[in-house]
Amino acid sequence: MSEQSVLSKIVTITCKQQVVRAVRFNVDGSYCLTCGADKKIKLWNPHSQILLKTYGGHANEVLDAAGSCDSSHIVSCSSDKSVILWDVTTGQPIRRYRGHASSVTCVKFNEESTMAVSGSVDNTVCFWDVISRRQEPVQILKDAKDTITSIQVTDHEVLTSSVDCHMRLYDMRVGKMLSDYIGHIITYGSMTHDGQCYILSCTDNTIKLFDKDSGELLNTFSGHDSKDFLLENAVNEKDSHIISGSATGEIFYWDLVSSRCTQKLVQGCKPVVSLSHHPTDNYLLSSSEDEVVLWGVPKMDN
Amino acid sequence: MSSDDSDEENVIRYGTPLDPFEEDEVPSKRKFQQQADQFAVDENGRRRFHGAFTGGFSAGYGNTVGTPEGWAPSSFKSSRSEKAQISNQRPEDFMDDEDRSEYGIAPRNLQTKSEFSGQKRPLQQRFHDGPIPGEPVLEQFIRAVHETAAVKMLRRMGWKEGQGIGDRLTRREKKRAEDQHKVYGCYMPPEIRQESKQSEESSDSEFEYDTLFAPDDYDPYTIQHKNDRFGLGYKGLSRHSVLGNLVGEYDSAGSSRSHLLMKEKGKKVSIRGQAFGVGALEADDEDVFAAPDMSHYDFEIGGAAEEAHRKRPPQSASVLEGFVKATKPPAAPPSYPPPALPRDFTPAPAGARRSRFEPAAHPQRDQGLGRHELTSEARGALLGEVPIPKTEETETNPQPQNTEVSKLLGKTINFVTENTQKDKDIDFISIKDTGKDINVFKPFISDPKKQARYERYLQGGDSNVERDVATGEGDRLSAWERNREMMEFEQAAKLYKPLSGVMGDRFTHASEPDDGALNPLSAVAKSSINYGLATPEQIEAAKIGAYGVVTRKEVKWRPEPIVCKRFNVPELGARMEPKKEDKPKVSYSIFSYLESSVHDKESFTKEQSKFSGSKSLNVDHEKKPKDDKPKDVNPVAQLGNVRKPTEPIEVNTGPNKRMTVAELFMKESEKDLQIKSKSKETEVVPTIEKFDRMDLYKSIFLSDSENEETNEESTSTDYKEFIEKPKNVERNTSPPRGIFANIDFDELNSWKRHSEDKNPKTIENNVSESKTKTNDDTSEKINNDDKRETKDANSSTAMEEAVYGPKIPENLLKRLELPESNFKPMFRSKDEREREESSSSDSWVEAKVKPKKEKKKKSKKHKSKKKSKHKKKDK
Repeated sequence: MSEQSVLSKIVTITCKQQVVRAVRFNVDGSYCLTCGADKKIKLWNPHSQILLKTYGGHANEVLDAAGSCDSSHIVSCSSDKSVILWDVTTGQPIRRYRGHASSVTCVKFNEESTMAVSGSVDNTVCFWDVISRRQEPVQILKDAKDTITSIQVTDHEVLTSSVDCHMRLYDMRVGKMLSDYIGHIITYGSMTHDGQCYILSCTDNTIKLFDKDSGELLNTFSGHDSKDFLLENAVNEKDSHIISGSATGEIFYWDLVSSRCTQKLVQGCKPVVSLSHHPTDNYLLSSSEDEVVLWGVPKMDN
Repeated sequence: MSSDDSDEENVIRYGTPLDPFEEDEVPSKRKFQQQADQFAVDENGRRRFHGAFTGGFSAGYGNTVGTPEGWAPSSFKSSRSEKAQISNQRPEDFMDDEDRSEYGIAPRNLQTKSEFSGQKRPLQQRFHDGPIPGEPVLEQFIRAVHETAAVKMLRRMGWKEGQGIGDRLTRREKKRAEDQHKVYGCYMPPEIRQESKQSEESSDSEFEYDTLFAPDDYDPYTIQHKNDRFGLGYKGLSRHSVLGNLVGEYDSAGSSRSHLLMKEKGKKVSIRGQAFGVGALEADDEDVFAAPDMSHYDFEIGGAAEEAHRKRPPQSASVLEGFVKATKPPAAPPSYPPPALPRDFTPAPAGARRSRFEPAAHPQRDQGLGRHELTSEARGALLGEVPIPKTEETETNPQPQNTEVSKLLGKTINFVTENTQKDKDIDFISIKDTGKDINVFKPFISDPKKQARYERYLQGGDSNVERDVATGEGDRLSAWERNREMMEFEQAAKLYKPLSGVMGDRFTHASEPDDGALNPLSAVAKSSINYGLATPEQIEAAKIGAYGVVTRKEVKWRPEPIVCKRFNVPELGARMEPKKEDKPKVSYSIFSYLESSVHDKESFTKEQSKFSGSKSLNVDHEKKPKDDKPKDVNPVAQLGNVRKPTEPIEVNTGPNKRMTVAELFMKESEKDLQIKSKSKETEVVPTIEKFDRMDLYKSIFLSDSENEETNEESTSTDYKEFIEKPKNVERNTSPPRGIFANIDFDELNSWKRHSEDKNPKTIENNVSESKTKTNDDTSEKINNDDKRETKDANSSTAMEEAVYGPKIPENLLKRLELPESNFKPMFRSKDEREREESSSSDSWVEAKVKPKKEKKKKSKKHKSKKKSKHKKKDK
């Protein structure tokens, strides 16, 4: 971990989507999705900067998207209150779920992409069965008392973060819900790859690392500026560093253990809101306004 | 006529030669030649018309009907995949090729437009039957000039309408031409021709110019419908000719349909068309029935009028030929001055108010002329009356109306609305009697006086109103009106009750102004609102960063089964199933509502606590006697000891009745699989068992089963029954059906009982029975003989008489013999009955007709109890 390679801009893509609300790697990290304020989702090959497909059908800004495990489907959510399941190749919407009462802020597939989980401003989390033809959510979680800001789904857990200052972890195996009071609005929650910790971006300009089992605070990372942005965080592929954007246009790398800022990437002067780390390699996608940057270690031989 | 060239002979043959006759062939009659099928076919030889009356052509897709391959429906094309490329079906898809040809239904060739087609008359329009039927008047005014090309050309060449075509002619030539009028086809009837000539003559005679005339227009001979059955040109007698001509018909001789025709006025009357009216030898008779008219006679000698006509009007310069200069100037068209505008008229074009939301320039009056809005005072003021000095009550009336009225004398019409407008500023009045100032809606705001009265009514009730009457305030109202008003007030008071009374506690003032709803851009306070989710300790802990146990909360959460399935997580079903069963399976029988004690959860838990750990039997037993008659306690207690050896087994195997009910409601305590499975089996049972206390119920539903039990096991207490019953899960607990439905076993047994009660021996019998019964359980069969003996000893006398079957039952006989005074077939306590039943069953055993009895028993056993039977066999 000490020999952390210095990342630099490999590719800069201008998406022409007004504002990129979210950028997401697909399951193997070879493609990425950008959700734009222009109501479109774009599928890119970030490494070669090729726009592969544009998915249009939302009636308002697309706020989040996720690719299925076999990369054949995309699920996206929008402030038009709908969740849409897309067919990647044809670009046609397969299903459109309209169960939310307000804009849908985040969406994720489960591990086998048999179910989509979406969180909304209406304080609910909905489980959508994408296999069957059911149009209604199969389950609704109504524990949160304010907007759901992010969702993470593992094989048997669902982690939700909410504006009501609570992090909620739903465990399907045990059949219980853990809720941790954080004290600050959580703008984004993610989990380490080992599934032992969760990382919460809070509005007090900190990122907090919690132990999942005990709910204890393990570490706090600060230095960035969140202002009023729903900043996202990420963890690198080795679980060695915590990454977060900043309202100042930088990307911070903190050492997970020492909570020292090891690296500061400057993307521009616009806030870097959305982040997506490559699942296996040392690549990072960051978006700020209309621009998506792929960060990585430039290969010498090429 | 044909000549055969092969024949060398110069024979001329006429006619068609017959077929060559062959000798060996028998000359047959002409073969029937079937005519070729008269089917219309298209050029491809396909049949063109199909179906009944050959109405449907092009049957089937591609005209496939009638083809050897048969009909083929138009091929279905799914539009699912290519929604965007749906092409509409065209008529051509359903037509044959020839339908598109020149004479088909959709010809595709050039055609003259109707304008140039030479068709004189356009197709008759259809007029809708509106309020003004017929051709719209406006269209009559504005009629498009529609002329055929030929007419236009003729016009150019100088032709005018009403003229014939050709060179101009002099009068003579014209006349001659007329004479030589060549007619193709049928000749016009001479009369008609004559008529037309005559009329022409008369008209021509008026002008004797040396001018050229245009040839006469060809007068098309309009063919009339022939609507009689006479020969051509013949007109039979009509009623007219018989009864006489009507007056005036002679004048329009040409058009007259009369048969009397006056050829020259007053000279000769020719009668035509008479067939039978005048005989052949008779001279032409005058129509005797014709009504004589003075107009028929000529009063002048000679054609006097002609001369006058022949005078030529003096020709003057600058006057066209044939015209006369007018002596009088033409009357000028009348001109009307524009209407005088009212003095205070201000033009208000429709577009002046830009939107309907814009406030009107001046307030609109509510309705009508405003007469009815005036109060009596206003009217009085208008009439110049001196206002009556107000009473005290009216002074409470906040509206300073009177002064205003006097002020507003000039513009009275609007004053009421002005008043109400003012009132609207203070739309609420405070009510004093509640102690605080509460805003109350004013229901009668439109009528201030009424409102004042209403307020007074609110303050003091009826008494105030009565006072009004006394003071003359209410004088203006008749008694009936007053009554009605009172009712109105009552209702209004109910409706518009001050909020504090009814709804006050349900609503609160908003703590924050609801700006966000109005202005989405207004800044929202940062949400650190807690919603009561976090305890103060949690907040404290979060503040100091002591996350962990304090800040964590654990809640049970159950994922839906489908979610588990999709997540590949084992379902938490086993644990969570109770949740599903939280709702007890309600049996919707009336009886479940009769017993209210076990209805709601609380009452049930109460009961449950009574039986805490109700697995032990004793609890049940203690409970039971409470419900039953207290005197049963003793036998229960006595028998309890004796029973012990057999009971525990039964209890353990069978589910407790009470428990199953408990599970249905609670599902919290035990969740043994065994019980569960049993509970499923006994789902029906609880609803019945629950009500075992009710004698009525029992007497209806349980008596049957009790009988059996007692018969088989000969228990004398219900104590036994309650332990035994659950044992057999398959037992049919439903009310008796079929042939047993209408049999009241209770009654049957009760008769028996009474008979035995009368018998003094039965008491002893009972004792002995109870003793024997204890043994019975272990070895009933063995004891049978003994029992019989004892029974014989006890009640042989009684039993000997008893013959079951066709004979009258013994107990019935007894009953007849010893009429009971206090005989009650119903509503007896169970134990009593059972005791009797048991005894009676014993007595049955001893009866002479024993085989029959056993049969009955058997059938009953078959019906329900199998388990017990087996048990017996075992023993």
